Amino acid sequence: MGKKLPTTLLIVTLAWMILASGMIFLYAPQELTMGEVQRIFYIHAPSGWVAGTAYFIVFLSSVVYLWKRSPLADDLAHASAEVGFVFCSCLVVTGPLWAKPAWGIWWTWDARLTLTFVLWLLFASYLMLRSYISNPERAATLAAVVGIIGFVDVPVDYMAIRWWRTQHPQPVIAGGEGSGLDPRMFLTFMVCVGAFHCLFGYLLLQRFRLAAARRDLGALRRALAIRPSEE
Amino acid sequence: MLNVYLFLAFSALWVIFFIYAWSLSRRQRRLRKELEELRSSLEGGRGEWKSDVRTAEGNSQSTRKT
Repeated sequence: MGKKLPTTLLIVTLAWMILASGMIFLYAPQELTMGEVQRIFYIHAPSGWVAGTAYFIVFLSSVVYLWKRSPLADDLAHASAEVGFVFCSCLVVTGPLWAKPAWGIWWTWDARLTLTFVLWLLFASYLMLRSYISNPERAATLAAVVGIIGFVDVPVDYMAIRWWRTQHPQPVIAGGEGSGLDPRMFLTFMVCVGAFHCLFGYLLLQRFRLAAARRDLGALRRALAIRPSEE
Repeated sequence: MLNVYLFLAFSALWVIFFIYAWSLSRRQRRLRKELEELRSSLEGGRGEWKSDVRTAEGNSQSTRKT
C-alpha cells in the first residue's frame, strides 16, 4: 500500500472538503422559511449517511470475521466502528443545533431521533465492549455479534421517516412525490456526501493501518517472548 | 450575518474531527515509539548474545589449552 495512497486520499479529501464548504456558503441558495440555519443540513445529513455506511462495513466485516476468523476483517470492523462513531457524534450534535431554531426544542423522542441515538449507543457499546474484554479473540467474537445484531437499527432508522409520522422532516431525497430539492441544493448535498465519504475513507484507512501495525507488533512481542523457552 | 446555530454546528464538526485526528496521530506516535524501543532492545539483546558467544568461545579455548 505504501505511503502514496494515504497521501493521495488526503489531498483529494482536502480538495473535496474545500469545494463542499465553498458550495455550502457560496453556491447553494438560501432556503425561504428556515434561512441560513438550513445550511446545517449539508453537514448533518451526510454525517448520517456516513454513519450508516460505517455500520454496514462493521456488519459485513463482522460476518466475515465469524465465518473465516480473519484478523484483518476484525481490524476493519473495529476501525469502521471507531470512525463511524465520530461521524455519528457529528450527526447527534448538529441535529439539535438545527432543531432548536427550526422546532423551538433541542430534542424530542420521535422514531427517527430515538433510532439515531440508539445507533450512537451501538457504536459506543461496540467500542466499550472491545476495550473492557482483555482476551482479544473473545472481544472480537462478542463485538462481531453486536456488529451483526445492531445492524438491524440502520435500515429501520433510514425508513423511520417513511413508515411513521415523525417530528423529523420527511425525506427530501428518494422521498416520493412532492419531495425533492432545488437542483443547486441537490448538487451541493451530493458534493457534501462525496466529501464526507472521502474523509471517512481516509480516516478508516489510517485507523485500519494502525490496528494492523498494532497486531503485528503484538505478534512480534509474543514471538520474542516465546523464543528463549523454545531454545 | 452568520447564524449562531450554523456557526456552532460547523465549529462542533471541525472540533470533533480535529480531536479525532489528534488522537489518531498520538496513537501512531506511540506505536512508532514502541517499535523503536523493541528495535533497540533487540539490537541490545543481539549485542549481549554476541558477547556471550565470545565469552563461551574464550572459555572453551582456555579449557583446551589446559
